[in-house]
Amino acid sequence: MTAALQATGIRKTFSGIVALDDLDLTIEDGERVGLIGPNGAGKTTFFNCVLGVLRPDAGTVELRGDDVSNLRVHRRAQRGIGRTFQRIELFAELTVREHLLIAERTRRGDGRLWKDLLGRGKPRAEELERCDEVLSLLGLDGVATEPIEHLSLGKGRLVEVGRALMTQPSILLLDEPSSGLDRQETADLARTLREVQADQGFAILLVEHDVEFVADFTERAYVLDFGCMIAQGPTAEVLQSDVVRTAYLGNVDAAS
Amino acid sequence: MLLAASVPEDVFRALLQGLPPGTVYALVALGFVLTYKTSGVFNFAFGAQAYVSAAMYFKAREVWGWDIAPALILAVFVLAPALGLVLERLIFSHLRTATQVARLVVALGLTVAIPYLFDVLAKFETVLGRTPTGIVPDGAIVFYDPFGVYAFSRNELVAMVVAVIGMVLLGLIFRYSSIGLRMRAVVESPRMTELNGVYADRVSAFSWALSSLFAGMAGVLIAPTFNTLAPLEFFNLVVVAIAAAAVGRLVSPPLALAGGLGLGAFISLFDTFLPRWSDDYSFLVPIQDNLTPAIPFVVLFGVLVLSPGIGRSREITDPLSGVDPPPPSLAAETRSPTLTRATRVFGAVFFLIAGLVVFTRADAEWMFLVTQTVILSIIFLSITVITGMAGQISLCQGAFAAIGGFTVFQLADRYELSVLAAALIGALIAAGVAAALSLPVRRIGGIWVAIATLAFAYFFDAVMVKFTWVGGNSLLQGTRVPRPVVGPWDFADDRAFLVLAVVVLVAASFAVIRIRQGTIGQTLQAVRGSELAAQSIGISLGHARLVAFAVSGFLAGLGGALLSVHQENVNYPSNFAPFAALFWLVVVVTLGSRTVEGAVQAAAAFGLFEAVILKGAIFEWLFRGSSGLTESLTVSPSWRFILFGLGTIQYARHPEGLVEHGKRQAARRTEAFAAWRRRRHDDPEPAGVES
Repeated sequence: MTAALQATGIRKTFSGIVALDDLDLTIEDGERVGLIGPNGAGKTTFFNCVLGVLRPDAGTVELRGDDVSNLRVHRRAQRGIGRTFQRIELFAELTVREHLLIAERTRRGDGRLWKDLLGRGKPRAEELERCDEVLSLLGLDGVATEPIEHLSLGKGRLVEVGRALMTQPSILLLDEPSSGLDRQETADLARTLREVQADQGFAILLVEHDVEFVADFTERAYVLDFGCMIAQGPTAEVLQSDVVRTAYLGNVDAAS
Repeated sequence: MLLAASVPEDVFRALLQGLPPGTVYALVALGFVLTYKTSGVFNFAFGAQAYVSAAMYFKAREVWGWDIAPALILAVFVLAPALGLVLERLIFSHLRTATQVARLVVALGLTVAIPYLFDVLAKFETVLGRTPTGIVPDGAIVFYDPFGVYAFSRNELVAMVVAVIGMVLLGLIFRYSSIGLRMRAVVESPRMTELNGVYADRVSAFSWALSSLFAGMAGVLIAPTFNTLAPLEFFNLVVVAIAAAAVGRLVSPPLALAGGLGLGAFISLFDTFLPRWSDDYSFLVPIQDNLTPAIPFVVLFGVLVLSPGIGRSREITDPLSGVDPPPPSLAAETRSPTLTRATRVFGAVFFLIAGLVVFTRADAEWMFLVTQTVILSIIFLSITVITGMAGQISLCQGAFAAIGGFTVFQLADRYELSVLAAALIGALIAAGVAAALSLPVRRIGGIWVAIATLAFAYFFDAVMVKFTWVGGNSLLQGTRVPRPVVGPWDFADDRAFLVLAVVVLVAASFAVIRIRQGTIGQTLQAVRGSELAAQSIGISLGHARLVAFAVSGFLAGLGGALLSVHQENVNYPSNFAPFAALFWLVVVVTLGSRTVEGAVQAAAAFGLFEAVILKGAIFEWLFRGSSGLTESLTVSPSWRFILFGLGTIQYARHPEGLVEHGKRQAARRTEAFAAWRRRRHDDPEPAGVES
């Protein structure tokens, strides 16, 4: 079986400084994988290379066996990468449901000018149904017609998840979803994500620095430090390993 | 072409020849970079500031007969910094957290308003064909020829020396003074800087005064190169300077200087060595003749499109911008349905009555004005699409409209095609050109689209219009366009034509509303909200922009074609020239670029404001035609430019426009009144409005 996401030999330098050094990462279908590392380790750079926001100097990105290395961001999204943002990115002045509708429309490539001109641009019953399905899955049915500005940060993150889900991703990339949320909200988000994932069966790559969240949520984890993969394996084991503790806390033995 | 003695000498002469205009470009580019770097404002109004000082100097010298020194002190060292301070205090200090595009729009408005305001306040009148004098005696008639190949005038030498001094001083201030460091910090984030204990207001005021001084100096130095002292020349010069400044991505003074000098040298070399292909191929004559003045625009466009750095330099985002409240939604979405319905009915009744009055009572002049307003509404809808919906500032809507007009002229003139069919074809061609234009600019953001489209507008103006297959054969023959006759209707009749225009406007409005509510509108809304997130769900930014440009181009082309048919002439210079079209944007944005009503009201303001308010028609009507009164109430037509130009300031505070802002206020008040009445009557039903 081909992996949901396979990144091979990703290398990125910024004016001579190696930000990512030949990174490999594989995520199977339906897996929950964490990517952790101290600040400045290269998590975001790696994330952006996978998404196509940045072009790596070397390496390939494959989605279910398709090489997407030369595709632009929106093409990769169409091929099955969904994502959320660390600093929340929503569409001002649209309602919650419209966020999902626009994603659904884009997925189906159903936005012709003549359709709009003939008044066929209004949402159809089956589109609304699909949106409402996802909304109720995320517990957002109560705020479906609210303008996005009225939502709390936690709800906003869920809208981002819902919007990404409408594109029917094979892998969902979550960029520090816990930032700005308190403990309870983070726990709620984790629970909802797990439920939705069980329902839809996509894979998740979680980039996070909240180690507890990662330990609780993911099955496997990769650890980045200074652009190198310093550890990988089952999350619990990885978090206990000495290299990881050193990377996060500094060399405790040497200090004492 | 002269057979030159030697190529190296030609090169040397061309370089020397390019030096004076090059330093002029560099001087303005430098001032432009200074404003941008220290205030983050993309200051199109720089040209207007330069004009004010140049005009003041001109007036002091020529009209009041002052000596050089006091005139220079007044114009450059007193008036210019004062103007800068006023702009900063009254306008830009309130806009520090506004988006870059909003500040750009304000600067565009000021570009229109400042020169007219100065002319009115200082009672300054343009004297045609009178070249302003420089800041040294006999600047234009004393020449020096240091190398024996090219003679510099005294004015040119002084301009070069001043430019070098200015450059050095600027570099010193930025690098070594503490105010320089603080100026740079304030650009990044005024709020962050204030948190660190720097009083951002004072720093900002200083940098505005300084850059304004630069503008004034540049204006006075440059003025002698013009035949006539007029605001338009200064605006054109700013566009050239932007090309020079763009070489250094607008932030590097040394590169801007190099860009200016390089541009001067390049143009001069180009002139000397370009083979005269047009001797053999006559169809190339317009290119050959006009390529030189068009070079800055070609360079500008090229730099923008080809330079990878600029493409990615998006807006500088203020790290503290997250604390700003989100923009309010359209009034129609928040107010109660009853109120919306009442407003619609009222609007329909108003337009019906106004239409009936015009249709039955208006004389030829009013008929003309009203019809023109209706057609302008169609053109302005194109701005609703590109600016209101897609969030892009396009400054070449005039070129799109002109394409429509010229197509009608050409097809009717050569093939005697029905003008209505030709108008449709013209609109389609304009849509095609707009779509093609969107391709090179599809990845550049914000203000850069505005600049690239401005460069295109100028290129169209300088080169394309000169082709016989575009702008016609000669000035004498003009670009006459017939009125159509369709079956029983002869549209040579003004009433019939008004009906036709209204029908087209209604269809266009309907289409725009449908697009806004449909998938395209929501896609554009998503892209405006967050380009990053839009891409992440698979929206192609390039495609979204292409559709917006094409629709906008179509509407502009259609309107332009109708305008030409209505005036029975394309009248390119007065209707569609870049600066004229710039004013369209200013008016639409001031009144509301988000809605169809906004476009119509903007057209009414553009077309009728002068006749109704400034010429006193409204007072004439109110006071039943006591003509002595109306004459005393007649106001200079300049006020149209001043008021709408200054009106853009409102754009930054209320990006939805004055109309929408007013509607929201009205809705809020009406609902509050309704709620108050309900409470008084002890209505058991809960109030519909949460407060």
